[in-house]
Amino acid sequence: MPALFFYLFAVLLVLASLAVILARNPLYNVLALVVAIFALSSLFVLLEAFFVGIILILVYAGAVLVFFLFVVMCLNLNAAVLTSVQQSRFRLLGGVVGLMFASSFFLATKSFIAAQAMGPSSVRGTIETIGRILFTDYLLPFELTSLLLLIAVFGIVSLAQGVLSTGKEKGN
Amino acid sequence: MIGLGHYLLLSGIVFSVGIVGVVTSRNVLKVLLSLELLLAASNLVFVAFSKFNGDYAGQLIVFFVILVAAAEVAIGLAIIVLMYRRLATIQADELKEMKW
Repeated sequence: MPALFFYLFAVLLVLASLAVILARNPLYNVLALVVAIFALSSLFVLLEAFFVGIILILVYAGAVLVFFLFVVMCLNLNAAVLTSVQQSRFRLLGGVVGLMFASSFFLATKSFIAAQAMGPSSVRGTIETIGRILFTDYLLPFELTSLLLLIAVFGIVSLAQGVLSTGKEKGN
Repeated sequence: MIGLGHYLLLSGIVFSVGIVGVVTSRNVLKVLLSLELLLAASNLVFVAFSKFNGDYAGQLIVFFVILVAAAEVAIGLAIIVLMYRRLATIQADELKEMKW
């Protein structure tokens, strides 16, 4: 039964990630990434990483992708802008690079699939276990991420100030 | 029986799709979305190794990756909005001021 769910969500993840790069409308790109994130989160639950799976849905599908949608709608891209963006000179190069990556990943993981050496361990990423490690062994990196988010806020505010000041210059 | 190799192969496929998206698309929004795919693929590897090696560190790294990705997306989208206001385009090739 877990194998069935694995293949279901794996196919969903691959199809959604293909839709992310192939769909023409940016709105559909973002919505396909929402589907991909939900499939990925389901795979995390299959791997018994419950806390990370929930955080993935909350942060990605809840915050990051809504932010993406907000920007896509805020830019209000018209058809002329979108069609001018579609043609790429690097399509062949991209295909070759993708095939190289995929084949190298396949060659690297072939032995893993054949061997089945490691069975799954009893690791269960519940809130209790993850929280205990996060606030003991990983306390310093956890506090440093708050500093990182603060710096990101400073960066965005300074970028937005540039927009406001240029707007004022135009107004004057 | 689903083993570690299945998860690694799936993550490799998603990573390759993301690489193709980063290389081929000229729409900067799409480049940013493809970067998210790359991060998602690497997150899957971390969680799979965490499960099969019996170590919680992989899941904690995924937690930190999600935090850093949120900050990265916020800054990236701010830059895209600025770019659209200044140049009225979201095409990566139009950014010529840093070229020489």
